[in-house]
Amino acid sequence: MSLYVEELLGEADAADPTTGDVTIQNYTINFGPQHPAAHGVLRLVMELDGEIVERVDPHVGLLHRGTEKLIEYKTYTQALPYFDRLDYCSPLCMEHSWVLAVEKLLDLEVPERAQYLRVFFAELTRISNHMLNLGSHVMDVGAMTPNLWLFEIREDCMNFFERVSGARMHSNYFRPGGVHQDAPLKLLADIGDWLDTRLPRLFEDAISLVADNRIFKQRNVDIAVVSRDDAIKWGFSGPMIRGSGIAWDLRKSQPYDAYAKMDFEVPVGTRGDCYDRFMVRVEEVRQSARIMKQCLRDMPEGPIASLDRKVVPPKRGEMKQSMEALIHHFKLYTEGFHVPAGDVYVATESPKGEFGVYLVADGSNKPYRCKIRPTAFSHLQAMDFMAKGHMLADTTAILGAMDIVFGECDR
Amino acid sequence: MRAPAPAYASNDGVIDSARAALGGMLLDAVDHVGEVALHVRREDLYDAMIALRDTPGLAYQQLMEIAGVDYPDRAERFEVVYCMLSLTRNHRLRVHVATDEEKPVPSVTDIWPVAGWLEREVYDMYGVLFSGNPDLRRILTDYGFRGHPQRKDFPLTGYVELRYSEESKRVVYEPVQLAQDFRTFDFMSPWEGANYVLPGDEKGALPQAKGAQTPLSADTIVKANAAQSPTQAPTEPKSTESTAQTGAGKSESDATPKPANPDVVPTKGGGQNQ
Amino acid sequence: MGVELQPAPGSPSSLVPPDQGFFDGLNGELTDKGFLVTSTEELFQWARTGSLWWMTFGLACCAVEMIHVNMPRYDLERFGAAPRASPRQSDVMIVAGTLCNKMAPALRKVYDQMSEPKYVISMGSCANGGGYYHYSYSVVRGCDRIVPVDIYVPGCPPTAEALLYGIMQLQRKIRRSGSIER
Repeated sequence: MSLYVEELLGEADAADPTTGDVTIQNYTINFGPQHPAAHGVLRLVMELDGEIVERVDPHVGLLHRGTEKLIEYKTYTQALPYFDRLDYCSPLCMEHSWVLAVEKLLDLEVPERAQYLRVFFAELTRISNHMLNLGSHVMDVGAMTPNLWLFEIREDCMNFFERVSGARMHSNYFRPGGVHQDAPLKLLADIGDWLDTRLPRLFEDAISLVADNRIFKQRNVDIAVVSRDDAIKWGFSGPMIRGSGIAWDLRKSQPYDAYAKMDFEVPVGTRGDCYDRFMVRVEEVRQSARIMKQCLRDMPEGPIASLDRKVVPPKRGEMKQSMEALIHHFKLYTEGFHVPAGDVYVATESPKGEFGVYLVADGSNKPYRCKIRPTAFSHLQAMDFMAKGHMLADTTAILGAMDIVFGECDR
Repeated sequence: MRAPAPAYASNDGVIDSARAALGGMLLDAVDHVGEVALHVRREDLYDAMIALRDTPGLAYQQLMEIAGVDYPDRAERFEVVYCMLSLTRNHRLRVHVATDEEKPVPSVTDIWPVAGWLEREVYDMYGVLFSGNPDLRRILTDYGFRGHPQRKDFPLTGYVELRYSEESKRVVYEPVQLAQDFRTFDFMSPWEGANYVLPGDEKGALPQAKGAQTPLSADTIVKANAAQSPTQAPTEPKSTESTAQTGAGKSESDATPKPANPDVVPTKGGGQNQ
Repeated sequence: MGVELQPAPGSPSSLVPPDQGFFDGLNGELTDKGFLVTSTEELFQWARTGSLWWMTFGLACCAVEMIHVNMPRYDLERFGAAPRASPRQSDVMIVAGTLCNKMAPALRKVYDQMSEPKYVISMGSCANGGGYYHYSYSVVRGCDRIVPVDIYVPGCPPTAEALLYGIMQLQRKIRRSGSIER
């Protein structure tokens, strides 16, 4: 009898397998590259024991477009739009790293209004990125309604981008030396209204549906727990490292542009599971709104780009009056500016984590080498140990909480 | 530093403490554009990384990025750059290692597991070998890709392109054929040190030989078969006096009516255009 | 906002729907006889255009706009076009984004799995002809090298309205090229 109990508890092998018992072998399944929950073109080769994930081998590179090679053949201005297309959910934050790297090599001063405008729109980008991620995360674990509401906020964000830069997604708005054009007062006022009324109403409504929801918690709490040590060893950054309880935010610790003057808080998780990562992002949206309001309050008047005419092209009106401006414009849009030789690694806090640019300049008008440090690369690599021992259905929750975009991961 | 780049702890004393911790492993240390770069002997990379991580006062806990750079002119053409971050000291540092196609770089996957994919990417892009990496496969390029695309001698457009073949019912590779070549311009001024020959420049460079023949004048040049070809009477110069000479047609109000647009259903009464 | 729903006084004819006579005729026929007569071909075309279930082939940036066109503001489903995750169930594949060499065999496989009649919309300049990445070593210069394409939607990325227009153009194309086997 005791043997039978041990067998039931799984402590001893069945001495006499009956006809109903089936020996289960590990089998390998292929997840993707065309799967709606893969958030793009991810291919996972998974080894399963029943429904338990034993090993995950992510295959990336299905969206490898050779961006880094193409950038070596373009001038610094022409290379900027490639950054929009890297992480297409948060285009302006990608541009941010690039313009800061170029400015660091040029040692170029940026007027204060331009810095505020960049911070302002980078935070708007963060909100729109988190809307996409939070929405698709809840959709991956079974909730439909919040996604519909969060995309309504995203539509608003896209309208704002269109109003400031002319493009809904790929704005190409930040430029080395400042921003491309000034934001109209009406737009800033409209965004201010939106931050006060529409954003909190829609966002808090949508989040209240899932944040305390029992099903949502069952799908996320204690899934893929990452300890602090693991988070450091695996090179985590952004909400992933904050979800593990390390208060590390580049906006706070290594402030760039006007972030040093902003007052905001860095949310951290306590357990390091998928739910914590989700809630960190939720709180980041509120903090981003807070930063944007401070920007609106403190933004000074003044030029929106550096007045160094060897880097920043003159405006059209000036060109009608001045021969020199015309020459500058022609030179900057054909040859571009030359960047002094040197190499820098500049990293900013993109909505997904540390997005870095390692830029090697050789003194010509084209980058000698531009290595992009994607956030998703290190996070996706950790997929193997994060998913081990979890159910197959949990992989979508883990992927959703990672916030992976393949334009940036594969470059 | 006037640029609004990310501001972290100052570089003061970092090179000195790195020199003390690394000793002979350190070849060179540079502080340029506000960033510290250490050049480390390739064989000692693993020990140097452990020292950089564990020495108090350096404490670079995180490896953020491994980048490869190709300098074809150098004896050891590749440089592998490790970008490191100290969370406790809030400081960034780069470690440079030089290598070539054959000499392997010691892998740091034992120290930071994140290096696994980062090294795979450098291998994929440059063909740099890493000894000790358990899984050195290609990562970004296509399955079965040949060559290392980020090398400076690899063409931008590569060697092959894809097409679906209706005959073999699968996707096939073919040699690349571009409808229009990639247009690159270089903006070197000839008087500012462009060191290449423009078409036609070679004529100016050749010295004229002594006693060379003076070029013939136009009326002394005779074609070889001039005797066989009939001579033509000089034609009358054309003018714009008459339409017969200019070749212009008759002016007509609307010679060819516009094709009817299938999208537009004509309204009753002919619309405002008629 | 800004759209007047009440007709302006003095122009009563401006709100008459263009096909009013056609609908009146249909109504009359239906109430008179209780059935309608049409050709099978027209019936099939009507069914095809009215339920274009599309295969989500989100590859890159354009995929985001493709999601946006489904979301409440543009609401593609009012045209009967619903996203399907399985190629077996779908009628049209929207290739949204850069098609890379590594992905091309998978794209073709998905296309081969779709049941006839099947249509392909190429969305964005990368799918149309390589676009910004035309000269890259790892990009297919246009997804029409891999699958036959019916509608090209230009833009980088096309706005949600542009994709919506592209889908309406596909409906028009189906109505126009009216053969049962495609």
